[in-house]
Amino acid sequence: MEFLGYERPDGSAGIRNYVAVISSGRCANEMAATIADAVPGAVPVIHTHVCVRFKDDNEKALRVLSGIGSSPNVAAAVVVGVGCENPSPAIIAGEIAKSKKPVKVLTIMESDGFQSFMDEGLATTRSMVAEASRLQRKPFPLSYLTLGVKCGGSSAVSGIAGNAATGKVFDRLIAEGGTAIFSETTEVIGADHLLAKRAVNETVANKFREMVERQEAIIKASGEDIRGTQPTRGNISEGLTTIEDKSLGAMAKSGTSPIQGVLEYAEKPPGKGLYFMDGTAMTSELISSEAAAGAHIHIYNVGGGVSSSFRCAPGWMGDIPFIPQISVVSRQSKPRDSQEKDFFDIYADTVVEGTESVDEVADRFFDEVIAVASGKLTKREMRRGYREPIVLYSTGPIL
Amino acid sequence: MMKRAMRINPDDNTATALNDIEAGETISLVSKSGPVGEMTASQAVPFGHKLAVVDVKNGEKILKYGEVIGLATRPIGKGEYVHTHNVESALLPGAREAK
Repeated sequence: MEFLGYERPDGSAGIRNYVAVISSGRCANEMAATIADAVPGAVPVIHTHVCVRFKDDNEKALRVLSGIGSSPNVAAAVVVGVGCENPSPAIIAGEIAKSKKPVKVLTIMESDGFQSFMDEGLATTRSMVAEASRLQRKPFPLSYLTLGVKCGGSSAVSGIAGNAATGKVFDRLIAEGGTAIFSETTEVIGADHLLAKRAVNETVANKFREMVERQEAIIKASGEDIRGTQPTRGNISEGLTTIEDKSLGAMAKSGTSPIQGVLEYAEKPPGKGLYFMDGTAMTSELISSEAAAGAHIHIYNVGGGVSSSFRCAPGWMGDIPFIPQISVVSRQSKPRDSQEKDFFDIYADTVVEGTESVDEVADRFFDEVIAVASGKLTKREMRRGYREPIVLYSTGPIL
Repeated sequence: MMKRAMRINPDDNTATALNDIEAGETISLVSKSGPVGEMTASQAVPFGHKLAVVDVKNGEKILKYGEVIGLATRPIGKGEYVHTHNVESALLPGAREAK
């Protein structure tokens, strides 16, 4: 099977064709946004990273920002900064340049002043957009695609509706030679021993266990013990009996394929197939890391609660406009009005209502993935407006 | 339409109720692909909760998603409600030693 994508100089294929105007630090957010907003075809990448952090967090920020710039969905990138940021705009651009796409660095410190900096930013971005707009889509096998996933507001039916359908979509893409990334280290606790069995070899299984233990140690250091407090009383009243029950429902979204490798936050997978990435359950942090790892599409699985009731669901805050988000809803209650259902690309409640099987939902979901990969706009892409900076995972102290 | 419960993996000894099921009701058992049979629920099972689809012995593994979600703490008959009153996590220190 094939999709229609944009050929990139590094041999990858993009499904969107934007010029990214990347702020190298929070101080440059307004400049990046002002430049990108003035040029159709350009999108700003603004975020919360600041220079008062230490080595580990700076390295994570570099991986995210350069990874997002290297995304196959980005035709060319402009990195804008004040000039004194850490990581520096030049280092971010240097990493993006490894993907062989056009990239340019502009800093206020090296310009003749603010206005000339802005003028140059606009001219550079316009010329990159003009060049990118000449590209035509062409067919690529599905093996070129990478999917990322996150679930929000899990309900008792997530594991048997939306997450189950996502798992099947993952399995189908991997069978076609593609790649899929799942994460949320805290959510695997309780199913970690079972997921470790899905690792392709003992090295991967050990790395996976180490990653889970590392996360548990961070949580324990704060005085909490996840294993002792899960499932919550709310989970039990919804029918989740044990921590294994809860975690397996959350992990149903990973499908059944073997786990080929374990990635650090925002690390690119070294090959094809299913990968586990370290990350928290915070949606906006995960979207940025999966995008940085090369995910073309982000699947956002919404369960019950508020997430399913308003169109700016938490996962949409801090999303990245050139990483289309396919949102999937499965919950116990019916939409309260006709508009609610329309916030989502895939309505999976049919599994509960009895009008579709999981396989049938997965079939149309997979078709939707190919359609979106080939250019079809998602519900979220058709609702631009309110915007928040993307959020980067940080663990260290602040200076 | 008959009330339904989903046996997610063919190896599972539990199914998840897709409706509020009352004691004595005959329900349709479905897989991910569609209906696979009928059975009677001997006890009430709320929506999203589980019932046993076969007889389960005391100490036996409780399977959902084809994986172990816990151990039975007493015998559970086919059609009975499966929850915290008759299952505990297999990760509990005591359960681990017993395995």
